Amino acid sequence: MTTTQQTVRESFIGRFKPVAANGKSLGTEARNQALSALDTLEIPGRKWEAWKYTDLRELSQREYSLATASENIDIQPFLIPGMESDLLVFVNGIFVPALSHTGKNEGRLSITPLHDLKGEDAALFESHFAQLADPQSDIFTALNTAYASGGVFICVRKGQEALAPVHLLFLTDASAKASLSQSRNLFVVEEGANATLIESSRSIGENTSLRNAVTEIFVGENATLEYVKLQADTHQASLIDRTEVYQSQSSRCFTYTITLGGELVRNSLIFKLDGQHVESHLLGAWLLDGLQHTDNYTQVHHMQPNGFSNELYKGIMDEKSTGVFNGRIHVYRDAQKTNAYQSNRNILLSDTANIFTKPQLEIYADDVKCSHGATTGRMDESALFYLRARGIPEQAARLMLVRAFAGEVIEGIQNEALRGYLSEMIEKRFE
Amino acid sequence: MLHISNLHASVEGKEILRGLTLEIGPGEVHAIMGPNGSGKSTLASVLAGKEDYEITDGEVLFHGKNLLDMDPEVRAGEGLFLAFQYPVEIPGVSMVNFLRTSVNSVREYRGQDVLSAGDFLKLMNEKKKIVELDANLTKRSVNEGFSGGEKKRNEIFQMAMLEPSLCILDETDSGLDIDALRIVSEAVNKLRSPERSFLVITHYQRLLEHIVPDFVHVLYQGRIVTTGGKELALELEAKGYDWIKEGAI
Ligand SMILES: Nc1ncnc2c1ncn2[C@@H]1O[C@H](COP(=O)(O)OP(=O)(O)O)[C@@H](O)[C@H]1O
Ligand SMILES: [Mg+2]
Repeated sequence: MTTTQQTVRESFIGRFKPVAANGKSLGTEARNQALSALDTLEIPGRKWEAWKYTDLRELSQREYSLATASENIDIQPFLIPGMESDLLVFVNGIFVPALSHTGKNEGRLSITPLHDLKGEDAALFESHFAQLADPQSDIFTALNTAYASGGVFICVRKGQEALAPVHLLFLTDASAKASLSQSRNLFVVEEGANATLIESSRSIGENTSLRNAVTEIFVGENATLEYVKLQADTHQASLIDRTEVYQSQSSRCFTYTITLGGELVRNSLIFKLDGQHVESHLLGAWLLDGLQHTDNYTQVHHMQPNGFSNELYKGIMDEKSTGVFNGRIHVYRDAQKTNAYQSNRNILLSDTANIFTKPQLEIYADDVKCSHGATTGRMDESALFYLRARGIPEQAARLMLVRAFAGEVIEGIQNEALRGYLSEMIEKRFE
Repeated sequence: MLHISNLHASVEGKEILRGLTLEIGPGEVHAIMGPNGSGKSTLASVLAGKEDYEITDGEVLFHGKNLLDMDPEVRAGEGLFLAFQYPVEIPGVSMVNFLRTSVNSVREYRGQDVLSAGDFLKLMNEKKKIVELDANLTKRSVNEGFSGGEKKRNEIFQMAMLEPSLCILDETDSGLDIDALRIVSEAVNKLRSPERSFLVITHYQRLLEHIVPDFVHVLYQGRIVTTGGKELALELEAKGYDWIKEGAI
């Protein structure tokens, strides 16, 4: 490291330190590992394979202050109309009970702020925390493990079906000053349980902001999880998200990552299929304009036989925006009879938009079915003409085609109100 | 209602329409025949407003207005309808959503009230019968997975929905079996009226047995080289196009 890099690194880490004083009794070992890893970890740049197309050094040099929570925020614009849910609101990374409401899933799942954990849930937390997101693997995970303070632990109890989705609203308030915040959550879906979790990332205010989020998810034997991320921040808000999913035998997990906003959004989504007959669906769409930059980095680890994974990411980029898809399927030697599919399809709406796509397969078993591919093109002019020839004005016709293209990604979402809302958000994105 | 005079159009620097003149009055049915590659689809596309073509000369008036200045959606609003030779599949756009947007856009353009969901469904069910379209087809994406014949019937269905004053049918008969051909031509005949004109592009005289034209034109190398009554179609069927080609040279 050069001296400048060293200084940038240290001042970046320094910005997170003030909350360390917050006394915490859980996850101490991981926190200590993270703290010592911070002595050497660097801010990733393009020379790192996993960060080949996304450079965070500029972002790390900006001025931020660790923002505090506020209860005086109108959250109405960020709610999903017509959807009954347990609602958890986090402002600048901190859980705000006054804005939240729970109770729709009484007895079926537990929702506990990390600092309130005790008894069996505390033990459950300890045995799962930092087991997937290695605190020493990169500087953002280390910072999160060391200093994040305001997350929740959600446990869907054995054999229980959630009656309503749980909606986690991560709201960044950058109206007074630049905001730096972290989110750290742990979800355990126990054996045979079934739930839908939604994360919305939204922001208010004109100042710049950065949120560093780490989420670990365990999907137990025979359990089903639907997990939807709606990233619709302002063009000044950046998000570094790492989500790790660990699936046990015969479990099913569906993730939807929909990125509409944000200056720079980096999603690392890592799946470990550690059981037979596991099913994983990774779906994603991004719709970008201006100077937006979205990087979806995914890893799917097929560790056991008879697994199925299907990955579909679709990008639409306008103006000078940049999309990145960097996805790897890894089939371990023992993972015979794996079916793994991956596809990335993109539409560039302007000559100045960019897409970098890098699908990768690494296969060490011999009896597998795998495919991957990427396409990039323009909007289908003959379809556009067909719509216009039927009287539909050009702009409306374009929006129809945009929604049709991205809409495929969300077709499978179970909750109708949620699916309708996302569909509308997508359609309105370029209005 | 439609005056085309001395129309010249090129694509990629190649002149396809080379001085085409044609006049269509209200309620008239005109057939255009001609060998492959003579410019029939090009004429249809140029009239509908496809941007790939450069108009280098000539004029087209539709209800007295300059058609070539209008966007495709404006032409549809003004009453022009093209039944495509190759209807496009649009995955992800449902037939119902597409049709409702289309019908209401055109209604809005014409200063009519937007249809309520109920009225729209009623209209759709009524018009669907005209072309004997399978009820399930409107639940799919636009043209996706439709057979060749279903795509063509879907075009006529849309035509019935949009109530145009000029209908251009580009080889709607090709790829149709005898039953489908009968259904399509009966539908077209039902839509005939003193105010509604038709420009029927076809290779075969058999369609014209059902949809009897007032005029038959032969298009060759971008120009209309012969015009006659419905008997001209029979003559072409018997003699082929060679005599036209010789005469044109
Ligand atoms: N978009 C296009 N690009 C290049 N050539 C075209 C295009 N459209 C039509 N042509 C050419 O113009 C000529 C006329 O085509 P077309 O109008 O389709 O004929 P027809 O419908 O009478 O068979 C053909 O030589 C065809 O190859
Ligand atoms: Mg043709």
